[in-house]
Amino acid sequence: MVARCSHDSWDEATGVAAQALALQDRAARLAQVDADVWEEALSALHVAGKGEASDGARRDHELEQKLERAAAVPLQIAELGADTAALAAHAGELCEGTYRADAAAAAALAAGGARAAAHLVEVNLGVREGDARLARARASEQAASDAAEGLLASIR
Amino acid sequence: MQPRGFWRPSGEHVLMSSLESLTDAQLVERCRAGDPEAWNTLVERFSRYVYAICVKGFRMGDEDAEDVFQDVFTRVYTHLDTLRDDTALRPWIAQLTRRLCLDTIARRGREQPADEPTVEEGRDDFAEIEEAFEVREAVTTLPEACQEILDRFFARDQSYKTISAELDLPAGTIASRIARCLGKLREELDGRSEPTSGSRK
Repeated sequence: MVARCSHDSWDEATGVAAQALALQDRAARLAQVDADVWEEALSALHVAGKGEASDGARRDHELEQKLERAAAVPLQIAELGADTAALAAHAGELCEGTYRADAAAAAALAAGGARAAAHLVEVNLGVREGDARLARARASEQAASDAAEGLLASIR
Repeated sequence: MQPRGFWRPSGEHVLMSSLESLTDAQLVERCRAGDPEAWNTLVERFSRYVYAICVKGFRMGDEDAEDVFQDVFTRVYTHLDTLRDDTALRPWIAQLTRRLCLDTIARRGREQPADEPTVEEGRDDFAEIEEAFEVREAVTTLPEACQEILDRFFARDQSYKTISAELDLPAGTIASRIARCLGKLREELDGRSEPTSGSRK
């Protein structure tokens, strides 16, 4: 919206708007996938909780795979949040002043999304401290937060 | 005649041949002269297009789409001499594909009633396919670096961080680079006087 509304004052505005739409589309797809994989993981946990000992190894393997997927998607969402916050911060620097606060709001929301997604990676039962996925999620959370804070600071 | 099964809508990235930069009309001329590499290039250039019409436009399954796909290129090969305007290769292939899709659906209808969409229902999809093909063609005229970065962001859903790491570019410049490449793409698309002629710059 920021890029579309201030496209006359800034050469890259149309290209930034196109990227924002692509990120929006990606977010909608990932949100659905996240809900699906989480539901699958919950079902697997439920089955594991009442399964018989004879098929324990297979069941554990299936549960592990489902937990892996349930961690992978929020990780992608955290990275998407970092990209969205970065793009919003970029737009906020170059757009018409009228829309700078809207860009900052978008960056803050994206940072919130990245934080929530990183938290979901962290609480996943298949992810331990020191896991590379957790480090990536936290890095995305931090990058999103830095981008949003930078822009907010510039307009306060 | 090319052996059946030679051309496939694999969707895999293929190496650019030296004929990639030819216009459709130039390619037709080379095909008529019996250049096998030109024929391969023609098939590669239009394979996704034909497949998209079958699958997206007519909601065909893989098996039917593959049959139509083979028929289309067989007919293109055997009837290329009947094409009056060499710049109209793409509309000709589109028309041929639609006709063969309808024939296949009609034949399947006689065998087993199915919920195939009508041509009317698929109109928006056809427009989307045409537009997507126009954009794809225009992208191929951009500098290599632009093609790469647009493909990574829009087609492969890569993050700025991944693009930055894999292309060894500063992370903070990725969004700007993509925006500038999109600007070039827009200029290319705006500069096309005959968007449905099927010719290339």
